[in-house]
Amino acid sequence: MAALAGGVLVLAGCGTRQSIFEPRGDAATRINNLQVPVFIVAGVVGVIVFAAVGYVAFRFRDRPGRTIPSQTHGKKVVELTLTGLSAAILIAIVLPTVSTILSLARTPKDALVVRVTGQQWWWEYTYQDVNGASGRPLVTSGEMVIPVKTKIQLEITSRDVIHSFWIPALNGKKDAVPGRVSPLWIEADKPGQYFGQCTEFCGLSHANMREKVIALNKADFDAWVANQSKPVNKPADAESAAGKGYASVAARCAACHQVDGLTDDAGAQINAKSDEQLVSGVAPNLTHLMTRSTFAGANFSLRTKECQDRLDKATPDEFGTEYLKGTSVECLDRPALEEWLRNAPGMKAMAPDPGPNGLRRGMPNLGLTEAQIDELIAYLSTLS
Amino acid sequence: MAIIEQPSGPLELARVGGVTPQVTAGVFRRPVSATGWRAWVFTVDHKKLGIMYAVAAFFFFIVGGLEALLIRLQLAQPGGKVLSASVYNQMFTMHATTMIFLFVMPMAAGFANYFVPLQIGARDVAFPRINSFGLWAFVFGGILLNLSWFLGGGADGGWFMYAPNSGVQFSPGHGIDFWVMALLITGIASLTGSINLIVTLLNMRAPGMKLMRMPIFSWMILVVQFLLVFAVPVITVALVLLSFQRTFGAQFFQVPAGADPLLWQHLFWIFGHPEVYILVLPSFGIVSEVLPVFSHKPLFGYPFVVFSGAAIGFMGWGVWAHHMFASGLGPISVAVFSVTTMFIAVPTGVKIINWIGTMWGGKLSFTTAMLFAIGLVTQFTIGGLSGVTHAVSPSDTQQTDTYWIVAHFHYVLFGGAVFGIFAGFYYWWPKIFGRLLNEKLGKWNFWTMVVGMNLTFGPMHIAGLQGQPRRMYNYQAGYGFAFWNMLESIGSLILAIGVLLFVINAVRTNLKPADAPLDPWDARSLEWMTASPPKEHNFDRIPQVRALDEFFHRKYAENHETGEITQIATAEQLLADDEANGDKHLHMPSPSFWPIVLAFGLPVIGLGVIYKTYLLAAIGGLIAIAGSYGWATEPSVAAPEDFDPPASGTASKELAPLG
Repeated sequence: MAALAGGVLVLAGCGTRQSIFEPRGDAATRINNLQVPVFIVAGVVGVIVFAAVGYVAFRFRDRPGRTIPSQTHGKKVVELTLTGLSAAILIAIVLPTVSTILSLARTPKDALVVRVTGQQWWWEYTYQDVNGASGRPLVTSGEMVIPVKTKIQLEITSRDVIHSFWIPALNGKKDAVPGRVSPLWIEADKPGQYFGQCTEFCGLSHANMREKVIALNKADFDAWVANQSKPVNKPADAESAAGKGYASVAARCAACHQVDGLTDDAGAQINAKSDEQLVSGVAPNLTHLMTRSTFAGANFSLRTKECQDRLDKATPDEFGTEYLKGTSVECLDRPALEEWLRNAPGMKAMAPDPGPNGLRRGMPNLGLTEAQIDELIAYLSTLS
Repeated sequence: MAIIEQPSGPLELARVGGVTPQVTAGVFRRPVSATGWRAWVFTVDHKKLGIMYAVAAFFFFIVGGLEALLIRLQLAQPGGKVLSASVYNQMFTMHATTMIFLFVMPMAAGFANYFVPLQIGARDVAFPRINSFGLWAFVFGGILLNLSWFLGGGADGGWFMYAPNSGVQFSPGHGIDFWVMALLITGIASLTGSINLIVTLLNMRAPGMKLMRMPIFSWMILVVQFLLVFAVPVITVALVLLSFQRTFGAQFFQVPAGADPLLWQHLFWIFGHPEVYILVLPSFGIVSEVLPVFSHKPLFGYPFVVFSGAAIGFMGWGVWAHHMFASGLGPISVAVFSVTTMFIAVPTGVKIINWIGTMWGGKLSFTTAMLFAIGLVTQFTIGGLSGVTHAVSPSDTQQTDTYWIVAHFHYVLFGGAVFGIFAGFYYWWPKIFGRLLNEKLGKWNFWTMVVGMNLTFGPMHIAGLQGQPRRMYNYQAGYGFAFWNMLESIGSLILAIGVLLFVINAVRTNLKPADAPLDPWDARSLEWMTASPPKEHNFDRIPQVRALDEFFHRKYAENHETGEITQIATAEQLLADDEANGDKHLHMPSPSFWPIVLAFGLPVIGLGVIYKTYLLAAIGGLIAIAGSYGWATEPSVAAPEDFDPPASGTASKELAPLG
């Protein structure tokens, strides 16, 4: 038990992305300061119990000549003392627990508010105070980008079943319950990537509903916001691959996916009517797809291993610049994206066939030709 | 050899209020066989029913274990391809459901059925036919649940079946419908069984057995039955709501219609947390019998163990929301449930203290039963302490839904409930079968299971703290999970070998002649004061109880000044004395096929509801009504003409008025 408790604390900390012992922000640090002493107390009590059992088993083992022991029915003093002692230990744990609960529940002032919406099987992030390309609050999916050293007030909710939002380095979990909005605040100390995933079982592809928080310096964050707020452009040449891809997105993908700036022939914005297609009513917004490093619920890397490695290994100072480079044509993991367009449900478990009410849960196999896939990628690559 | 009492001549019915009917509505002759399969299927004898409960539960233990092995096979490496996402989700749902509802609960029911009447000096339970009904309802419920594997797939919403993911929209197959119906039926089995045992324990104790002289296992069973009586109706309500939603389009958990999905969570966990104590307290009772016997000392602080068990039974109702710390309850509720959860650790800790106190100063014999009991004390302690870390709710928001929790409750349920059950197997086997399980093989069995369980569930602590979430059919490399998962999978194979060793031991032992000594462990409680296996009527003479550990005090005299213990009688002498002075009048009920008919109606109704074939449901209903009618009009002792040849003995028999 001693070895276990010690080993647990050491091993759980190294070389991982979701360890609960590596806080990287205020909220998670408060939790860690509470939990480490509790783990130690539990470990010590465990050692004492194991030692007692070991001692008793050895000392009172049956040996030749041992007679039947006297039939003691118990000692009230021992009993009450030990009961009192265990209650005392628990009271010592209760006090800091309650104070931490209350301190974490306080809503920070002047925080940046981000609405975190879960649906099968990806997350959407809406910046309530920032206008996006559509003129409405800025929406992105898969990756949440935040400024460092700033408290971010999350409003967590869901469009279908219950999910749970969790970035262990930044705070504990909070469930995304449809019909409810639950508060949670996070804060990151340094620029970098913070990993997590949905932690409430949410059906078929629960394992593939991942999360990534990107923390940037204030200046980098402002640059990111400025870029996100721009609508996309129509390729100049309608006959180029990208131009054909644009038409294909408008004709097909835009039924579910919102792309701000995507217009019909008359120049009017095409708005996705995903509620006619999907149980959750929304598919990921693709407006600035190539600024992200992942796709399909943050489950697959959008970048080649080499480019992703550069991001993973960037120091906090370099990180912002590296991230804002986005997924360039050279960095794009083209085979992965092609495979997705070829047969999405083959790559990520989903329920794309219309269910009892004619609605889907996930992206169907669109039956695209290789040429169409090439054109789509040519266009999607421009969504920087 | 269930009910072989052949009444002589016209029956003189003991009329205790109301009319006891003479004629059964049976179309077939009443089953009275003393041998063959009929003697088992139609029995109302608590011992046969206890054995059948245990055999069926063990079968489902193997089923649930195979499901666990498939899960571990899938997770042995990142990106496992053994199971699809869909099948994996069914697998972990069915694994938990099977282990909880079809293994641990009915196994405890088996032990309780067999040993409660023996421990309290009774001839049977209060309602023997209800007892038979309980068994068959459980068996049919278990079959119905597993039928879903062959009819389109099992339930895939997790054993907690959170709304709205349990709705038709998100789980369009029939798996969840099977799950709902099967759990309703096993719930009926648990409820009838618990009422039966409460009545038995409160009314049928031998003269002189005050509640505070009742063996500790019987005490823990009493606490558990009260938990069942209050908890099962709550899950039943939840299941009925879910069933109405899935089958008839009701809106109880439909958010667009204004429902709050947390309603389900509250209902589920108000049942679900007491359920944890329902699972583990019977095993606490078993080790509280085993430790004193093999320490040759009374249970240390018997009243403390009794009252801490009862305290757990009460406090267990005030902690359910600790399963919902991340659900957005608000800080005040979270703080309150955090505090109550921490304080339930006190009565649990009391038990650990008393178990160690029992061994302290004793004369310890390390039989396999004793090893499993000590195994429970140590392994459960690990589970209990990791439990304290998530009573601290801010820390729980980091731990919940990770493998840290999976590790925690497997130490509680495998290290606690299952080790207790195995201690019970080794301790009571000679009582049930008159044969001692092989001790050498038993020790192999124990050590393989200890190593296997720690290798399986130990690394889950680490993977959990590294942030590996539960209920994932898949994980990616690069998070530090892979090594620990491989260890866990290897551990699960070792654990499986441990269980296999037990099966081999059991089969080998029961192929040998019944040659166990009458009192192989120098035991302390009443069940050892009769023959092994016990006679159908348990005791020739209903014992007069003068002390806790009555049997021990009949064998030994204690010099109160020196504390010296001297033997004054052997078990054989006590038994011979009882046989020579047996009671003249025995009240024993006859077998009956009505309980099984009634129980069979239930899954038929269930299938009718699942497939919305209401004609089938109506037929099931008719079967159940016919069963109830036949049951109600059947005398508790078979009429002479039911026997072949018709009864003509000289023994005088009376009717048991109940059951």
